[in-house]
Amino acid sequence: MTTTIAEQEVALVDLVDRLLGGGVVIAGDITLSVADVDLVYVGLRALVSSVATAEEKNALPRMGSAL
Amino acid sequence: MRDKVLAAPLQLDPFAPDRERLENALTRRVNADPESVERGLAQLVLTIVELLRQLMERQALRRIDGGALSEDQIERLGQTFMELDKRMEELREEFGLTEEDLNLDLGPLGRLL
Amino acid sequence: MIELYAITDDPTPPDPPLRAVESNGLTALCAPTGRREVTPDALWRHEEVVEALMESRDLLPVRFGTIVSDERAAARAVEQRKEELAASLERVRGAVELAVRAQRRDPEGDAPPESESGRKYMIAKARRLAAARPVHEPLAALARDSALQRGPELLHAAYLVDRDAVERFVSLVRRLQREHPELDILCTGPWPPYSFAEAGGRS
Repeated sequence: MTTTIAEQEVALVDLVDRLLGGGVVIAGDITLSVADVDLVYVGLRALVSSVATAEEKNALPRMGSAL
Repeated sequence: MRDKVLAAPLQLDPFAPDRERLENALTRRVNADPESVERGLAQLVLTIVELLRQLMERQALRRIDGGALSEDQIERLGQTFMELDKRMEELREEFGLTEEDLNLDLGPLGRLL
Repeated sequence: MIELYAITDDPTPPDPPLRAVESNGLTALCAPTGRREVTPDALWRHEEVVEALMESRDLLPVRFGTIVSDERAAARAVEQRKEELAASLERVRGAVELAVRAQRRDPEGDAPPESESGRKYMIAKARRLAAARPVHEPLAALARDSALQRGPELLHAAYLVDRDAVERFVSLVRRLQREHPELDILCTGPWPPYSFAEAGGRS
């Protein structure tokens, strides 16, 4: 089955999403540089971690009777 | 191998890449050291503000959903969030940041937003 | 300099130029770094390597552009996160990733209206998020796991699906599309489990 250009284009979006945004990351702690000074935000990582666990991954609101 | 489309709607246009965003994504990667993320302070601060804003909005929606809030509270929450939304847009513009810029890539933790 | 492609616990040696760097039960699959240019072509070629590996092994794809100085560094990197990586590998065993995006065919008022009413703003927000449920929930039910990404789309999700459930999943997407003519639903894949390789998920 031949792929159309349009199909390759949309697949590219999903490809880039994954290759650049997903996958295993071999890295140490998060290092952010401000004015060439490396500040290791260990605290930030812990914050985001706790937020990520608290936020249910699949929670989508329902259209309750209140709305 | 590049035929990854399994199910497609009649119109593929809405799902096509935004060329500019794609360029940014690719060129940013070239300059990014895999072990560090270089961002300005404003970007960092605004990203956290945006994260909190989204969390609060979602939480509010869940509470409204659960019927826990009065009509008056709902109205006030909505007004507040509308205002916050507008302010965030103004702040972003002030610092020349796009919505994408506020989606910090935190490596193993994924994207912030 | 060597580039990492994937992490696996399968001992089968890969085809050259790929090499297996073993470290305590886990293996990093890597190759000498080629020309460092990030173009769609380079990305597709990288993907082809990972997918070829995935045809005969369960693996965790490594983020594109992960380069280390030598094999010892690769082994060290894997060693450092051995438990997490092993756990992730277990989570994705026998499964592939399918990507789904959905949009409203008529993007009437996806953005909350410029209305004065705070209540209307909240309703619009909730309606937009809730509209994704009839698509997301049945798909999530067929999947082992799912990861939602926030973005302009109505639904932007990754589903971890058993290899032998892929056909059923795609049929379901097609059925949902028929049942929801007001939406445009796109499904691509199968992909290596990029969105489920890290415990924190992709987003």
